[in-house]
Amino acid sequence: MKFLVTVGIALALLTLESVVVKQAGLVLGRIDVTVVLVAFLALRATLLEGAFSAFAVGYLLDLMSGQPTGLFTFLAVFTFLVGRLVATFVDVRGGLSFALFAMGADVGHGLLATFFTWLTVKDGGTGPVLAGLPVQVALTGAAALALFPLLRRFEAAQDRPAGLLR
Amino acid sequence: MLSLLKRYRRPLLVGVLLLYPLVAFLLSGRKGRDPNPIDRAVIAVTSPVQQVLTASIEGTVSAVRHYLDLRGVRQENDTLRLENLQLRASVQALGESRTENERLRKLLGYAEAAAGPEIPARVVGVNPVAKLLSVRISAGEKEGVFRGMSVVTPDGIVGQVIRATGSYSDVALVTDTQSRVAVRVQRSRARGTASGAGSGPLKLENMLRTEDVDNGDLIITSGTDGIYPPGLVVGRVTHLEKKEHGMFQGGDIVPAVDTSKLEEVLVVGSPYSAMAQGSAAEGASK
Repeated sequence: MKFLVTVGIALALLTLESVVVKQAGLVLGRIDVTVVLVAFLALRATLLEGAFSAFAVGYLLDLMSGQPTGLFTFLAVFTFLVGRLVATFVDVRGGLSFALFAMGADVGHGLLATFFTWLTVKDGGTGPVLAGLPVQVALTGAAALALFPLLRRFEAAQDRPAGLLR
Repeated sequence: MLSLLKRYRRPLLVGVLLLYPLVAFLLSGRKGRDPNPIDRAVIAVTSPVQQVLTASIEGTVSAVRHYLDLRGVRQENDTLRLENLQLRASVQALGESRTENERLRKLLGYAEAAAGPEIPARVVGVNPVAKLLSVRISAGEKEGVFRGMSVVTPDGIVGQVIRATGSYSDVALVTDTQSRVAVRVQRSRARGTASGAGSGPLKLENMLRTEDVDNGDLIITSGTDGIYPPGLVVGRVTHLEKKEHGMFQGGDIVPAVDTSKLEEVLVVGSPYSAMAQGSAAEGASK
C-alpha cells in the first residue's frame, strides 16, 4: 500500500477507535488497529515503504496517546521488521491466518510496550495492563478479520497495472 | 565511503527509523515532549473528525434513549417537582449560611481565595493506547487551557491537562496508574494520597495509621500538591485496612466521577500558575 493511503487509513481507524472506546467504556481492553495495519504492511509492503509507513503509523499512535515518547513509533517499526522475518516462515493468505498473524504481533507489541513502560515508570501498574492483554489480543484478532478484506481492496486498487486507456 | 553509503542505503534508513524513536524514548522516558508544529497540525486535523463522530454517535444513542424514557416521563416529572421544591428550600438555607460565612470571614480578616476561570469542554475521544488513561477535550490554548490545569465535573475531579494545543487538550484521568492526588478526609481532615490503579477504585495511601478515617468517609482534594484546588470531591472510602503494624493504613476510594462515561467537563485553575508549574504537571502523572 502506498504511504499516504496507509497514513490515511491509520488516522481514520485511530479516530474511529477512540470514539468507540469512549462509547463502549473499554478501560483496558483496547483494539490495536495500528498493529493490524503494521502486520498487513509486514506481509505486503517493500522494506523501505513498509518501514516508513510503520514509522508514520506508530507516530500517530504516539500522538494519540497524549504523551508522545517515541515508544509506539519504535514498536511499530520493530513489529514490522519482526513481522517481515516471521512472514518468511509462515504462509499467510486468508483472513483467518491473517487474524492469527496479527494476534501474534499484538502479543509481542503488548508485552514490549508493557516492558518499556515498566522500565521508565517502575512503580508497579503493569498488572492491570497485562491482565487486559488477552481481551486486547482477542479484540485485535476480530478487528484483523474484519479489516483484512478492506485492506486487500485498498491494496488492489493501488496495484492496478497502467493500461493504454489509463 | 560514498559508495558504501549508497550500497547500504536501505538498511541504514531502516536502522535510523528504528533507532531514532528508541533513543528519543530512552532520553525522554515517561515525560514525553511538548507538541511540535507537526503534532499540532495532525491534532488539528483529527480532533474535529473525532468531535463529529462522537456527536453523531451520541446523538443517535441519546435519541433512542429519549424515546425509551418518554414512557416514564410523567412519573419522573412528579418526582423531580418534589425534588425541586426540596432543593429550593436547601438553596435558601445555604444562602443564609453563605451570608453568615462571608460576614464571619470578614470579621476574621480572611483573604478571599481567587477562583480561576471555569472553562467548559466536551469529551471528544478516548486515547486508544492502554498505557495511559486519557481523554481528549474540545478546549485548548485558544480557550485558555494550559498544561497542568485540573479538570472536574460537578460530581468531582476527573484529571489533569497533560497537553494543550490550539482547540484541543489531552487530560490524564485520576484512575491512571501514574496519577497521584493529595487528599484529605472531609470529616476528620486527615491527609493522604489517592493513587490511580488503572481501573476501578483509587488506592488510599500515605495515611498514618493513627488518623481518623472510616468506610464511607468523603475524600476531598487537600490542595497541598499544588495541582488540584482544595475541596474538590474525589470519592468515598471503602475496604479500609487498619493494620496492626506499620506506619500507614490503606483502603480503596470509589471515585465520585465515572471516568468511562464522561461527556462534559470543566477545566479549572489559574492558567498562569499552571504554566509556571511545568514540573508540577508532571508530578501528577508520576
